[in-house]
Formats: sequence, C-alpha cells, structure tokens
Amino acid sequence: MNYDCMVIGGGLAALTCAIKCASEGLRTGIISYGMSALHFSSGSLDLYGYNPDRKIVSRPYEGIEELVKLNTRHPYALCGNDIIREAMEFFRGAVAKGGLELYHNDGSNHFHVSTMGTVKPTYFSQPSVFNETAKEAFEKRPKIALLAFTGYRDFYPELAAVNLRKSTLFRNLEVITGEVTLPIRTSKNPHEFRSIDIARIFDSERYLKNIAAQIMNASQGADFAGLPAFIGINNYQKIHQRLQELAGILIYEVPTLPPSILGMRVDNALKSRFAALGGEFVAGDRVVGGEIAEGVLNHVHTENHGTTRIRAKYFVLATGSFFSGGLVSGFNDIREPVFNLKLFRDNERNRWYSPRFLDTKGHPFLQYGVETDDNLNPITENGETVKNLFCAGALLARYNPVAEGCGGGVAVSTGYAAAKKIIRNLRGGAA
Amino acid sequence: MIHLDNISFDQCIKCTVCTIYCPVARATHLFPGPKQSGPDAERLRIKNPDLVDESLKYCSNCKRCEIACPSGVKIADIIQQSKWRYLKKKFRLRDYFMSHTDLVGTMATSMSFLVNFFMGLAITRLFMELVLKIPMRRVFPKYNSTTFRRWFRTIRKSQEAYAQKAVFFHGCYVNYNNLDLGKDVVRVLNAMNIGVEVPREKCCGVPLIANGFLKKAKKNARYNIASLEERTGDGRAVISASSSCSFALKYEYSNLLALDNSRIFNQVEYITKYLYSRIQEGGLPTMKPVHLRAAYHSPCHLERMGGVIYTIDLLKRVPGLDLVILHSECCGIAGTYGFKKEYYDISQSIGGLLFKAIEAAEPEVVITDCETCKMQIEMNTGYEVLHPVQVLARAFREE
Repeated sequence: MNYDCMVIGGGLAALTCAIKCASEGLRTGIISYGMSALHFSSGSLDLYGYNPDRKIVSRPYEGIEELVKLNTRHPYALCGNDIIREAMEFFRGAVAKGGLELYHNDGSNHFHVSTMGTVKPTYFSQPSVFNETAKEAFEKRPKIALLAFTGYRDFYPELAAVNLRKSTLFRNLEVITGEVTLPIRTSKNPHEFRSIDIARIFDSERYLKNIAAQIMNASQGADFAGLPAFIGINNYQKIHQRLQELAGILIYEVPTLPPSILGMRVDNALKSRFAALGGEFVAGDRVVGGEIAEGVLNHVHTENHGTTRIRAKYFVLATGSFFSGGLVSGFNDIREPVFNLKLFRDNERNRWYSPRFLDTKGHPFLQYGVETDDNLNPITENGETVKNLFCAGALLARYNPVAEGCGGGVAVSTGYAAAKKIIRNLRGGAA
Repeated sequence: MIHLDNISFDQCIKCTVCTIYCPVARATHLFPGPKQSGPDAERLRIKNPDLVDESLKYCSNCKRCEIACPSGVKIADIIQQSKWRYLKKKFRLRDYFMSHTDLVGTMATSMSFLVNFFMGLAITRLFMELVLKIPMRRVFPKYNSTTFRRWFRTIRKSQEAYAQKAVFFHGCYVNYNNLDLGKDVVRVLNAMNIGVEVPREKCCGVPLIANGFLKKAKKNARYNIASLEERTGDGRAVISASSSCSFALKYEYSNLLALDNSRIFNQVEYITKYLYSRIQEGGLPTMKPVHLRAAYHSPCHLERMGGVIYTIDLLKRVPGLDLVILHSECCGIAGTYGFKKEYYDISQSIGGLLFKAIEAAEPEVVITDCETCKMQIEMNTGYEVLHPVQVLARAFREE
C-alpha cells in the first residue's frame, strides 16, 4: 500500500486536501478517528468575518490582505491570497460534484443566523441559508416567522427571535414565532426526536404537503419561514425547493444543536466526492505514531493495525485542534500527540484563557497549535523539519478561528495548499 | 453490585454522531439509537438494573457507532453487555440452534443432502416461520457434504514441505458451508509459498454472543485462546478468512468477554492484512488477468478493525479486475439478526441502500469479506458474491 499521499484526519482540511490529491490521480488515503467536527458545524463556510478591531469584514479577500500584514505567520499568510481564492473555488466545485450547491454573495460576506438567533458573517452557504432569491427578498424588509416543531428540544424560536430583533440587520422587521406538528404516528415521544430523525422523515418525501400547509398557516403571511435545519439530507435540495413551492414562502434553515444536519451534508458531499475519485477512507482508526529519520516521515502506524507500517510518499496531518484531539492538554502542558511536533503555545496554564468566557478577543489557547515553516512543514522536538509531512487546518498555530471568523477558510486553504505542494513535488520529480 | 468494567461511557460528550450512523436507528423508531441505549442509559442501569429498557434488543452489534464515535466510547460493547446482564432471558430453541454452529454444522454436514433438500421445501420453511419465527423468505446457506477439517486431513502432508507456515482459523462457515473458500485459502497461501496448519478450534463465539449464550461463548473463547497460544509460540500468524471471526478473536474476547488474549492479539490477522504483509516482503506470484467487473462491499466488522484498506489494496493488484468500491453501508443481516422474524423487516430495510448501490454499479459479481453479508447480498440482489481470496485464487490459477 504505497500511497502517494496519506492524510491523517477526516475533517474539512483533510478532505479538501485528499480530494485535490485524488483528483490529480494520486493514490490517496485518509485515516480518521471518529466523525469530524463538521457534524457540529453550521454548514456554512467562514472565510474571514471580523477584523482585529472586531468590525465585521465585508470583503474578505481584501480583509485578508490587511490581516496578513499584521500577522505574517497567520496560516493565510503562508498560503497567499491567490491560493486562498483558488482553494475556495476548488472547494465549492468539489462539494457541488458531491451533490451539494454552495452560494456566495459575489465575493462579499453574507450573514447567517445561529440557533441562538445571533447573526454572523460567513462566505459560502447552502441554498436554504443564502442565495440570490433570498438576498433580494431580504432587501425588501420581509416579515419573518421562526417555527418550532412540537416536542423538538434543540431549537427555541422565541429565544432566537429575541436575539434576532436586537441585531441591526433585523431591527424594525416583524419577527413572529409559531409551531408545526409532525404528521406521523410513532411509538416515539416527539421529545425523543433529534434533528437526524426528523431529517430522515423529510428525506422520505412523505408528509411534505401536510407540513407545507402547516408552515403556511403558522407563518401568518410572512415572507420567510425559519425552520430548524433538518429538511432532508441526501434529498435536501429537492425537498427544500419543493417545500418552498408547496408552502408559497421562502424557507430558511437555522442550525440546531448537534448533530448538525447542515454540517453533515457538507461531510457527505466531500466524502462522496473523495470516494468517486477512488480515494481510500479508513474510518475509526487512530494514527499513533511514525518513524521520522533525517527529516523524512517513512511510515506511520495506527491503533488497529499494530506494528503494520503504512507508507506514503507524502503525509498530511490534519487532526484538528483540542476538540478533535489534534492537540491535547495536560495540567501544565500542551502537546501534539502523534509526532510530538513543535508547538506555538504557553505552558503556563493560567495564561491559556481569558477570565471572561465570552471575551471578544477570544482565548489565547485558540491560537496555539503546530508551528510550521513557510512550506507548512512542521518541526520535530529535535528541531528537524519534516519535508514530506504537511500540516493543515485547525491544528495550525497563530490564528483565532472564533474571533476572526476564519476557521473554515483556513482549513480549506491550508488543506488545498498542502495538496498543491505535494502535487508539485511529485510532478516535479523532487522527493 | 455495580459493574464498572466498561466505563468508557464517561467519555461520551452527547454529540449524537453515533445515532446518525446507526443503521438500525435509521430503519426503525423502535430503537432509540446507540447514544441513548448505550452511554445514556448505562448510567441509570448501573445504579438500578430495573431501569433497563427492552429496546436494547434491537441493537445488531454492527459496531458502526464505535467507528463514528470521536470520543472512544465502546458503545456497542456497552449495549451487548447490558442486553445480557439486565434483560430477562428467555430460552428460545431457535436462538440455541442458530448460535450453536458447531453442533448444528456437524449434524447438518453429516446429512447435508437431506438438510439442503428439506431446507429448500416450502413446507419446512412454513413450519420454521410459524414455530421457530424464522422468516420464510430468508434464504439459508447450503451445507457441505464434508467438513473443511476432513478435507484438510487429506492434504495435510503436502503442507509440511513449506518452510513458512500460517495457522488458519477456518471458522464455522468455511468448515460447514463453504469448503470451496477453505480450499481457495490453502491454494492462495500455497501459491505464495506458505504452508497451512489447522488448529483445534471451536466457533469463535460471535453468534453465541449475539444470542446471549455468554457462558458458552466464554468457554469457546478460552478454548480457542489456549489452542492458538500453543500454535503461535514461535510468532506464527493466525489468519481467518472471516472478518467477524477475526474481530472476535482480537477484540470481542478482550473487550466484551473480558478475557486475556494479549498473547495472541498481535498474531491474529484477517487474511487480507496477512497477505498484504507477505507481499510487502516480496511474496507476490505473477497474477493472470481476471476479467470481471466487481463491486466491493466492506463489512461492518472489517471497517471496525480498519482492515478494509488491505482488501482494497489486494484487489487493486489483480490485473483485469474492474473494481467499483461501494460507499460503506451495513447490509443489514448482522449475523443471525436478519434470520429472526422480529428483525427481518429492519434487516431488509437497512440493506436497501446497499442493494440499490450494487444495482447502480452494474457489476458482474460482488466481492465481500463476510459470509453473512454474502448471504444477504445474494438473496437480495441475485449477484454471485465472492470472497477476496477467491478472486486472488483465480488470479493465481495455473492454466
């Protein structure tokens, strides 16, 4: 199994990188432990949302040019604006080929609404969150209905409506709330339904007429109905459209508490694309180490495969940040657990976080991560640069995905940038 | 007494990702899903066993929840343990027969002609449906007229010539139902200059665990561990051509049955991984083209072991093989699960996605590593299903 490229990790950065490599005909594998953080994400892709003064960025590419002047070690600075643009377009294409359309606001950010009813800037969204029709309708100051499903515990429209009314974008808009009851008979108490159960009911395309009629009723002449995001998984685009037609109203999806169906759709689309390109995906196994000699990672081994060596010409480490296990913290130390790579971090625990939980500057630990050279190659604890190992995504240091609103963009750009380097090295004949 | 042998439920962050990927929860609302049945309910059950919920029985133990879990919770193990620890157990003749594969297999092979004939009759099937609650529509595997072990005795001498040897844990299916697969395993290993040894063995215990015969499963497991320890003293590999048998020997023995299999753990390999390692050492004979369009289905337990890449690697080496790798989906049968009337519809509904994907791939044959996946796919799609080793055997054939 001599891979051209073996990607460690299965999230946004890993899949983008692996799809790019596979699409160039490289033999590509992924080893991933557990399902990725996409399942907990909004399903929209943030590129760059807030500048260092916490002002909302309208034109993200222009904003990034300013950002990288201030922070020359930002992952975006390592990629360069051209690669970021190319990466975003590649990503959109890959997701589309996997069966999911993503829309952007002509190069500018648009906003999306969170479960709590807060409004956030983002760059790519699914058609039930942003598209031209929705944009035009919103500019005409529409009436908005936020609807709950009877018994469903993971979205509270009254709460969302209160926050929505506070936002400048929604000030003076009429926001009402209402309720829809699922027309199904089941032994299950509706309180037991999670987003995934209801998404499957939508996916079956049954009951759509009944639900549409209820939506029409409950929204009392509103132009937009905001529903918790579970209107279909595989059949989502078709069902979204059909439901809009039947109810005669624009339907907006608000992300729910996990599992996030919006995020799952992106995950599904990327994985289908990778599989269609002949990629090999190992789920449920953890890379536990590897042999690095003279700046080259020769092989890795995993929990399930014991002593068996998995070899590849190039490796990509995209294991995520603390949440996904790409970084781990002890009481007074932070480590990268697979190769013990050199990190940017502070070992003094009380400097990891801000005493204010919702500090707008974010917590320092969010900036911790693997310190790479300009080429995205990491450095071992012995100070050796590993030439055939690239790092991508949330594991990287010196950016703040929350405060800057750039987590998705960094994952896609660095994953793509790593793939480009691998392809160039292989094609150029250099090892 | 509070049982604290699997406290991995403490790692659960309640993300519900396992429930997304649970094939049973997708097919029926009767199963609340692995999160609720596993880590959530376990907290209640360890304090008060009366809080156990009947819905546990719907879990098919496919282990897809454990693959999906980002937090390392042994969800399916928790459910299996609780199922037999807390639920009231009724003896069912059907479950006894289905799980005691050695007993039934020995009897059936000794009169295979009669058994195969009667199992094919509508009247027998009707009786089985009415009395034993085994659905009439379910197709049973045929029994061989002789066992693998009996056949192997006739060729054992020929294996002594090989310097390198592997211990073949054949399992019940090869022994009683698919002698041809057993022969192909020997043929492929011999072609790679590896001799075959057959240890004394009993059923690995997978059907016993699934049907609640845990004592018997432990007894078999101890027997197998002892037998394999004898054989592997010199580091010799134990290979199995069944993904579920290898999974049991490696993981179910230690995680679920709480037995010490550490001395055989590193020796036991599913066959494609073993072959892969030998090929790395340069032991691959020249292959002849196998002109087939094949769809590959990866069984749940092989996914759980991370063994799929080795099978795919081997298949990709076979010249002429036009391979479509299907999106990983559970076939629904889950061993004896799909053979029971109460789970039959669920089992068929789970498999629906896979059957459609197979049809769409328009293959000539389907390839899979698991014997019950094979039964399910053959019954539902009509395609012939081959084991990867059988494909290799065709590539290694001498003209």
